[in-house]
Parts: sequence; C-alpha cells; structure tokens
Amino acid sequence: MTRYIVRRLISIPLLLLGIVSIAFFISHTTQGDPLISIIGDRQMDNPDAVAAAKARWGLDKSLPEQYVTYLQNLATGDLGTSFRTKQPVATDLLTRLPATLELVIAAMLIGSIAGIVLGILAARFRDTVIDHLARLAALAGSSTPVFWSGLILLYIFSVVLGWLPGPGRFDARAIAPQSITGFLTIDALLTGDIRGFGQAVYHLVLPATVLGWTVMGIVSRLVRASMLDVLSQDYIVAARARGAGELRVLLNHALRNALVPTLTILGFTFAYLITGAVLTETIFAWPGIGSYAVDATRNLDYPAIIGVTIVGGSAFLISNLMTDIAYAFADPRLRLS
Amino acid sequence: MKTSSNRGIRRLADLSLASAIALGVGAFALLPGKAAAEDSALVIARDIDINSLDPSRAWCDTCQIYMSNVYETLIGLDKDNKTLKPRLATKWEANADQSQFTFSLDPDAKFSDGTPVEAKDVKWSMERLENIKGGASYMMDSVKSIEAKDAHTVVVTLSGPNSEFLNILTAPYTGIVNSKVATENGAVATPGADTADKAESWFMQHSAGSGAYELVDYKPGEELRFKANPAYKRTKIGVANIVIKETKDSVTQAQQLESGNADVAMQIDPDTAKTIKADSVSAETVPSYNFLYVALSPGAKEGGKLLTKDVREAIGLALDYDGIIDFTVGGAGSKIASPIPNGFPGTAGLPEPKQDLEKAKELMKKAGYADGFELNDAFPNMNVYGVDMSLLNQKIQQDLAKINIKVKLTPIEFSVWRDRVKSEGIALTTLFFAPDYYGSAQYVEYFGMIKDNPWWNRAGGKRDASFTNPQTDATLQKVLAASEVEKDGFYKQLAEQMISDRIIIPVVSPNLVLAHGKNVSGVRYSACCNLMMDEISRQ
Repeated sequence: MTRYIVRRLISIPLLLLGIVSIAFFISHTTQGDPLISIIGDRQMDNPDAVAAAKARWGLDKSLPEQYVTYLQNLATGDLGTSFRTKQPVATDLLTRLPATLELVIAAMLIGSIAGIVLGILAARFRDTVIDHLARLAALAGSSTPVFWSGLILLYIFSVVLGWLPGPGRFDARAIAPQSITGFLTIDALLTGDIRGFGQAVYHLVLPATVLGWTVMGIVSRLVRASMLDVLSQDYIVAARARGAGELRVLLNHALRNALVPTLTILGFTFAYLITGAVLTETIFAWPGIGSYAVDATRNLDYPAIIGVTIVGGSAFLISNLMTDIAYAFADPRLRLS
Repeated sequence: MKTSSNRGIRRLADLSLASAIALGVGAFALLPGKAAAEDSALVIARDIDINSLDPSRAWCDTCQIYMSNVYETLIGLDKDNKTLKPRLATKWEANADQSQFTFSLDPDAKFSDGTPVEAKDVKWSMERLENIKGGASYMMDSVKSIEAKDAHTVVVTLSGPNSEFLNILTAPYTGIVNSKVATENGAVATPGADTADKAESWFMQHSAGSGAYELVDYKPGEELRFKANPAYKRTKIGVANIVIKETKDSVTQAQQLESGNADVAMQIDPDTAKTIKADSVSAETVPSYNFLYVALSPGAKEGGKLLTKDVREAIGLALDYDGIIDFTVGGAGSKIASPIPNGFPGTAGLPEPKQDLEKAKELMKKAGYADGFELNDAFPNMNVYGVDMSLLNQKIQQDLAKINIKVKLTPIEFSVWRDRVKSEGIALTTLFFAPDYYGSAQYVEYFGMIKDNPWWNRAGGKRDASFTNPQTDATLQKVLAASEVEKDGFYKQLAEQMISDRIIIPVVSPNLVLAHGKNVSGVRYSACCNLMMDEISRQ
C-alpha cells in the first residue's frame, strides 16, 4: 500500500504539468482579448495604450515564450498576477480556498448525513410511503438546478421569513473576525468572537443546504441501491436469525458494505464541488474559488484561469487518491497495488 | 469481532452527527440579535466591476463611485448635473481661445494623512494619468504642459483650444492623488510610467486622496469598504462607514433591500423594481444619461457592403423605438435622437426617432434590396443598465424582418465581441455608453465619423472610408474653440450630422432605479460620478 501511495504521489506533479499545459494553451488561444478588462473598451483603439498594457503583462511575447516563462515562474511557486485583482494568483487562491472549503465541507456534511439517512430509510421501508418520499427528495435534490433552488430558498428564508441572512459570508455591516485560517467559523472561535462564530454559521446554513441538497440526492440514491443489494444477502439473514436487532443489522452489517461505493462518489463529489460550486457561490455572493473562476473566465484572466485549473486538478487527483485509500480501509478485501 | 475500519466508519458517523448537531444548534442558538446590526456600516448592494483602484488605471462604473468619493477633482458637477462647481479649485479662468487654464487651489484642502493638497500634486496626478496610458489617459490627450506656479496655483496649457476641458476635469478619473505617499509606494508620473510604475498593487489596498472617504479594505468578489476621511471638511459627512457589497444580479439586490440587509441599490431593473413590496423601501425611477445603440459597420468584412447609406437609413426607419422601450425596460426609458444623451448640450429640439416602414421599404427598393438580405448580428451577451441585450436584439430582429432583412443573432462574450469588432468588424451590433462627465464633445470624439475615431475604426473606416464625414471634424474644431453661448448651436449641428450618418442609431435610454431604504436620504444619480456618498445620510 505504501508503495502504491508513493507511486501515486509521484505521478501527481506530472499529471498537473499536463493539466497546466492544456489550460495554458486553451485559455491563450480562446477567441477574445483580455486587454479589454485591463485598459477598458475605449482604450482598445489606442495603439499606445494597447502596446503598454501588452508589454506590462507579458502579452507582447510569442505564445511559446509566454509558456516557458510561465513554467519557469511556476517552478518557483509563482502562479503569476491576476489581470483583474492585480494580486498574485497564489494569494487570491489562498484567500478564496478557505471560503470554498468551508462551504463545501458544510454541504458535504449536510448532504452525506441526510443522504445516508434517507437512503437507509428508503431501503429499509422499500415501496412504502417513506421510500417514495425519500426518493422524491433525492430526485428533487439531484435534478433541481441550484440557481433556482438557491434563489427560491433565499427569497423564502431571507426575504419573506427573515429567518436566515442574505448572500455573503458575514454581515456586511459588521467587521469579520481577523483572518487566521481563512475559515470564518474557526477564526471566530480562535479569536474568542462567539457572536462572529454565530454570524459565520448563520450565513453558512442556506448556501450549504442548497449545495448539500444536490449531494444528498446523489448519496441517498446510491445508499438505497447498495442497501437493497446488501439487505438481500445471506449474511444479513444470518444476522437476523442470530437475533441481532434491526438497527444493528442496518448500521453494523448492511451499511458498512453499502457505504463502499458511496465513499468513491463522496470523494469525487468533494473534489467536484471545490470548483463546481460556481452557481451557489454566485447566487450567495460567496467569495470562493468558484466565483473567482467565473470572473477569471469572463475576463480572460489567464493566470487566474490556470491557477484555478491547478487547484481543481489537484483536488481531483488528491481526492481520487484519498478515496482509493479510504476504499481499502472500508473494505479489507481490497488491496491496492 | 470489530475491525478497525468498522470502528473508523462508526467514528466518522459519530463525528458527522456531532458536527451536524453543532451546526444546527450553532446556527439557531447563536443568531445575532437585530441590535448587533445597528449603528453600523451603510450597505450598497452592487455588481462590483472593478478593474483597478489605481486612480490612473481605473476604468469602470464602480471605479467612478470609488474615485469620486476617495479622490477629489479640481472641479465638481452640481446636483443639476450641468453646472460646474468648485471642488479642489476654488476658482479658474481660461484664456481667450480656451487653450490655457489657470486654477486656484483651496488652501484648506488636505489629504487623508493631513498633508495639504498642493499644485505639485495636481501636476503629478495629471502627468501620471497621461503617462500610465491606462483606461482614462485619453482625457489628458489635449494637455501640452502643466505648471505649478506656486503651492496653490496651477496653469494647464493645451495643444489647442478645448472648450470642454473644464468638464473633463469633473470626471472622477482626473482625481488628485497625494504624490508623496504614492511615490513612496512605487508610483511614477514621468514618461515611461507605463512600465516603470509599480504602485498598482499598493493602490488596490490603500488610498491617498482628499475625498470624503478613504479605502479601508477591498476584497475582490466580496466587498469594498470605506470610512470617512477625518481631514475632509468640504461637506458634513452623513454616514461614517460604507460598504459596497458584491451583489451580482438585480433580483438579489432588490431582495437585499427588502430584507434590510442592504440600504442602497442602483442596478435594479425597472421590471424588478415593480416587484418591490416592502414599505421600508423607496424605489424612484429617474432618467439616466446611459443609452444603448445599434451600430452599423459598412466596412465590416462580412455583410458590410450591403450597408449603403440608403440601407442604413432604412434600418433606422424600420426600428420600432416605442416597442423597443416597452419590450426591453417595460416602458421605463426614453427615446434618444442622436448619440448624445438627452439633456446634454446640443440635444434640445432634436426630432425624436420614429418608425416609418413604408419609407424604409422604399429605401430598400431604391438600394436594390426590395427582397432583402441576410445579416449577421453579433452582440455582447450581457445585461446592461437593466437591458437584456438578447431581448433587445430579438426585437431588432423582428423589426428588420418587416423590411425583409433576415437577422441572424449571435450572442458572444464581451471580450470576444471586442476582438471581432477590432479585427474584421461586425456589420450589425448593439452596445451601450455611459458618460464620463457632462459634455457633448466626448460623444462626437467617440461616435463621430472622423478619421481614426473609435467608431470610425470599428465601422471599418480603414477598409471603406466612404462614410467619413468631413463636416463633423470641422464642426468639432469650431465647438472646441467656441464660447459658452455658441457651443449649443455647434453641438446641435454635430448631433444632426451623426444622425444623418446612420452608423450609430441610439434605441433606448433606460431609466435608472434609485432604490434605498426609506431611512436613507441623499441618494442621487450623478452624470459624472454615479453616486456621491458624502450626500447620503441615514436616520
């Protein structure tokens, strides 16, 4: 197993180089001119202004030269400077990644717990009202577009009922806790700001629920199918025959095996949400990687686009590895090689 | 026998359950009370489109707000959106041919660090704006030299007459910067500043102005935070802390106002404004100086040759201007005769555009296109000033079908649109314009068919110069040297010339919705500066 992990870890930089190269050439050859977001539409007709901006951002060099320069800088940990924020891309990503991770972790918790519970209930009470309701909730979760559910829930819970806050990570009127880890909930606790912690959690509930709902849809359907499969196995009948309680049969005997395929999906879902929570981040003005990616793409902010691609690629590669390892732990019959 | 993986899963399950409970309990048990939000920052909900906070590189609508409130210009624009008023300059005078201007600075004006605003700062700021070659550097194109006569007197000499120079100086991008502080942080104003200057990243987090507010923090994609400048004494500041909060769309801005999470929003479209029900919110619709227009490019590589003068005239007559206003902004807009906004110099008495299908068909017949033709319409796929560009172009497609022009719609990203306009041209497209300051010359210099002007280039003037209008250049030179009394007449001639060119056909000037909590007052639309925050107060 150790050799397997080391081999996989060694392959990650090579795979990332491939991802970076593809992202570099696709972004640079896409139709459109990034200068418009740097100097504005009016000055695009001014050759002096265009030449000055190109020279300043290294866009006056040939594409191979730009590629070599980028890789040289990347080797030193320099991801370039964002055309839009004018800050190093690495700084932007480090600032925004905790916001996304905080949202995604909360969404994964909500989605996986609710999905597992619903999946178990649906399998245990197959073809009953409980099963139908659970499947309906799952179907709604996986098929409802986030931009719709987000806006509707925002309207109901924030505008109509006033129970939950509007978009953003923190009340705009207040001062957020001093950034230590970038996770507002953790930073609030570290600085002893209990009210700040409440604020951070309060703002997290709605976007995490909206995002978690889609996770729940995927998980519950998968758990239900796996549980149905497992519950018909002989060893479950044997467990019941030995007098094991229903809860014990479900959780200890059935769920353990039913969770194996779910772990794979959870791993990939986590990685996907790192850069895939775009709509949720946009609707809830959540300053994470997803909204950064959208802005970068719309403005053809090459360094930012490639930076986000590196984060997304790394998330997939690492989560894939973690899933494989978790898989082996969850099912001792599997051996990684 | 329990395996270690089994225990792992159970531990994970326990941990997950505990976290879920903590989240639930935390969210509801620790809800901040209403009192926590009181006497705090005023929140402006806005789609933040900042490209830079460097005064010499900034170029966007939010940048206008930022610049206007953090950096003071020499001259201000009064609430009537027409009259020039003193700001850093207490008085000014021009020579006879309007090519030299002398400004006397307010001796009491101070930057936020307490140092006085002096003539050297004015000279430095203007020179940097020119030499950085950023978004607004063209505003200094006519400047030949700037001389600091003494600490409080500045003389600006232009390369030729420019009767609109004083108006240009109301544009927020000409705001004056504390040269000492900026230089200490890498700013350069001399020629070569475009490559030598290293101050932009510093300006993204710091300000060095004498305006009513100073920058506290800018978090891209999240918020722009201001606090009142203690050294500012020109007016009494009503709100000490202001936050512009990233709120991308019109509907969410309205929701934020209704729920009390925001105090001001200026990007709510008229249709959404009608849905605001909360008694605590006021939504006033006012005319704006922004407009959207159809642009025809006879020099475009594909389809340009079809756009003869008669065909362009026919297209102008085929458009249903009233219908466009109803269709795109629910009637909350105005028709606009020429590519100069209503209310700007030279627009009084211009005839409103009207649909005349019979005449349009006659012109198509005269041009030899009675059976029409196909035309590509590539336009930026965006929502601007409350107008969905897709809807607007669908309406144009319907209207032109009535004179047998079959329009093929191609929505594209703005950067792609810009690239295409520059390289091969687009025969039929739509775009938008907002003023940089109160004055009509900026429109002639942008839309007039004068060689090397922006829209002369975009319409393909280098491939087919037949639509160049020599009269426009001549009239522009006259108006730039004209006295205040003569200016209106010349601008009217220029407006008529641009109407007759039929290259730029304005279709709608959307109204602006000024939405704010009823406890907030002083929110108004400024032609130069978008929103003056020092005029806002809150009960």
